[in-house]
Amino acid sequence: MVIYSFYIFDRHTECIYSKKWLPPSAEGNPTGPSTFPTTNGAPHRHYNGNKASDDAKLIFGTVFSLRNMVRKLGGEDDAFIAYRTAQYKLHFYETASNLRLVMLTDTSAPSMRNVLHQIYINLWVEFVVKNPLSPAEHKGGDGVRNELFEYGLDQFIRGIM
Amino acid sequence: MTVFALIIINKAGGLVYNRTFYEGGLQKISTNDLLVLAGTFHGVHAITSRLSPVKPAQAQAQATPPTQQPPGLLTRPEPPSGLEVLETENFRLQCFNTMTGTKFLLFTDTTQANVDVVMRRVYEMYSDYVMKNPFYQLEMPIRCDMFDRKLSSYIREINNR
Repeated sequence: MVIYSFYIFDRHTECIYSKKWLPPSAEGNPTGPSTFPTTNGAPHRHYNGNKASDDAKLIFGTVFSLRNMVRKLGGEDDAFIAYRTAQYKLHFYETASNLRLVMLTDTSAPSMRNVLHQIYINLWVEFVVKNPLSPAEHKGGDGVRNELFEYGLDQFIRGIM
Repeated sequence: MTVFALIIINKAGGLVYNRTFYEGGLQKISTNDLLVLAGTFHGVHAITSRLSPVKPAQAQAQATPPTQQPPGLLTRPEPPSGLEVLETENFRLQCFNTMTGTKFLLFTDTTQANVDVVMRRVYEMYSDYVMKNPFYQLEMPIRCDMFDRKLSSYIREINNR
């Protein structure tokens, strides 16, 4: 199983955290090292010409539309879990406070709902919510990019892969 | 095993066919909402095909080593596909996009297996009883008795199995 990327969106629809675990060749840099570098934040361009921030906006629009569609069809208590295309699979988890966690994996991945839930309770709540220095609203990703959260997330994802 | 409903969306994003086979599977929504939903899905489908995190060529290279490909054969990668399967807590949505851009949306319960087979049969029926109907106008709502009847009996057979 390969995990491509991970995004967190706050209740104001802003992308407050994104991280990618893409192999270098997938980012149009075939001469790079063969290890998986962790790139985040930098507005590098993808092979498809999307900037990283554009990707986040597109992903948010997609999950937001699908979530509303699913609620309309399946009732108010229904929740959108995942969708799959021929190239990738997108997993979605929304907390009661409208924090949305999104993960992109390869198509053979099993349901990652519990993984996203674990990230929420073991990393987000522990290292971001319980951090006294972290602001209540994470405008522009404030308070999310702390060392413990980043390290914990990277370790956790690498453990799954 | 239950098939809840079938929706057909034409290549412009317009709703051309809508049929519920099992009451109680999905919420009842007005025709107006359904039209909006079809348009929204059409847009989301287009976005999901642009979100692929990996290079198409790279994905293909992993599937078939380049040495095995016969010389002279065009090695054009598969075009990126949009959303194929959507999973939620209450239902499962399978989407089939034909070569001409018509989308078949089949709503089933979450445990339904072999939706591909059902989808294929529905597409066959569409080809036989809608496309071969001389009175059917392309891209217009489908009103073909024969299609309705054959579809009903086929889905009833599945739902009663």
